[in-house]
Amino acid sequence: MKKISKKTLNSSFWRWWYGNLTCFSHEHMQTFGYMWAMIPILKELYPTHEEQAEKLQTYYAFFNTEPQIGCIVVGVTAGLEEARANGAEGIDDEMINGIRAGLMGPLAGIGDSLIVGTYIPILLGIAVGLAEGGSVIGPIFYIVVWNITSTWFQKFVFDKGYSLGGSAVELLVGEKATAFRESVIVMGQVIVGAMAASWVNITTPLQIATNSEGEPVMLQANLDGAFPKILTMLFVVFCWWLQAKKGLTPIKVLLLMAVIAFVGSVLGILG
Amino acid sequence: MSLFQAILIGLVSCTAASTIACLGTTVGNYTLNRPLVASMIVGIILGDVSGCILIGIPMQVMWIALVTPGGTVASDLRAVSYIGIPLAYVGVKAAGIDPASDEAFQLASSISAMTGTIGITLFYGTAMMNLIWQHIGWAKLDKGDFEIVGKVDALMPLISHFCLSFLPVTLLCYFGSGAVEEVFKTLDVSVWYVKALLCVGSVLPAVGIAILLKSVVNKTSDLVFFLLGFVLAAAMGLTLLAATVVGGVFALINYQMTMIKIEANKGGGAAVVVEEEEDI
Repeated sequence: MKKISKKTLNSSFWRWWYGNLTCFSHEHMQTFGYMWAMIPILKELYPTHEEQAEKLQTYYAFFNTEPQIGCIVVGVTAGLEEARANGAEGIDDEMINGIRAGLMGPLAGIGDSLIVGTYIPILLGIAVGLAEGGSVIGPIFYIVVWNITSTWFQKFVFDKGYSLGGSAVELLVGEKATAFRESVIVMGQVIVGAMAASWVNITTPLQIATNSEGEPVMLQANLDGAFPKILTMLFVVFCWWLQAKKGLTPIKVLLLMAVIAFVGSVLGILG
Repeated sequence: MSLFQAILIGLVSCTAASTIACLGTTVGNYTLNRPLVASMIVGIILGDVSGCILIGIPMQVMWIALVTPGGTVASDLRAVSYIGIPLAYVGVKAAGIDPASDEAFQLASSISAMTGTIGITLFYGTAMMNLIWQHIGWAKLDKGDFEIVGKVDALMPLISHFCLSFLPVTLLCYFGSGAVEEVFKTLDVSVWYVKALLCVGSVLPAVGIAILLKSVVNKTSDLVFFLLGFVLAAAMGLTLLAATVVGGVFALINYQMTMIKIEANKGGGAAVVVEEEEDI
């Protein structure tokens, strides 16, 4: 029985952790990073150079996913490769690439929404709060917490992928995991609301009337009396609506908002 | 800015060159490439850490959520972090604006949006140039030489970074800072067009937050939670951390309710199976 040593698994993991996107192109995306991570494993499992080179051809296939959660796929293929070297039946190029291709889409969706779209913004949000007044505590907090938690998570799913094989994916896409993910996203929604109110401040200098004592009555003060920062809220929801419901790209929305703000300021409505 | 400082910023920009960063995804792209972290590093290089962090905060807010599905990006953060931050800092200093003021915040937001979108060319340029190294790699692989893979993945892209990160960043920082200083020295924030530009800077962060909102909202009714968070901060004055706790409570309730539903469905599913058996 061949067994991949701990050292080889670690070297495969660190190669992927480091090199998953270092040679990114739109043609092959993460393919080279993947091959580089598999080489130590193939070298240990197969004795001859010819056999190693032949087995590497399995990983010539296109690969792209959210690379951090994607550690699990590298772990799973390490396990599969070990089984193949031990002569397990039914494990061939087609089967391995079927698993890889089947996992990369769903994992990219989960990784993008959970890690990149929720976890990182929450951490950065807290860090921005800590950095108020120009304090270094903010960036240092982010550097430390992000790198430790993220690397730990990547190693964890890599090891799970290797030891549990395909069923490890249940950890990430099963009912319980989905419920957990959706709940974290609820928390994310609340936090994004707080971020919008804390960081965006859109105001109007419009004067709507003069009161009995001859003092100006400002629209902004009246709006704030009814719903604090309502103008900011409306702008954020409008920008969201343009992207989510009208399908505008972020760059188009940026341009549109720049024009609205510029014209609004010149007309004396905004700013 | 001295040439030495510009070179240092250029070097760091390679380690953090967006998705393709030469220090990898976790450390390069998601740490050193974030404007908040970059502002600290640029601050160390320029000798004013807290001033640069104050400029970096609005730049970070602008691009707080940047998902790159399938390799399409809305902004290149390396340009924001290592061209936008140093130039904005130099400009704010030359204009005599306090980095902690609203004007500095709005100015930095505008510069962040501009450098980020224009900087996309650097991202696509690097990805295109990497094709050369990959083609060298495939040619060697065809001959059975797989030792090339590591070089293609880790070493050769450094040439792409030299051409598309180090050179543009260093040159823009070095020559751009002088030009920016000249323009900003005479900046008068009460002129109508400067006011309008600052107004643009106050509206643009709404787009950044909306990008983030889009990544967490799946159905329109989810906006209720967004509104809850908004009201917590705007009307009740909670800080972000405090609002996180309230969000956590709702997350826990949601998790428990979903688990109850799953359990109930399991029970229900079993019942259906039994019924079917009876029908037979």
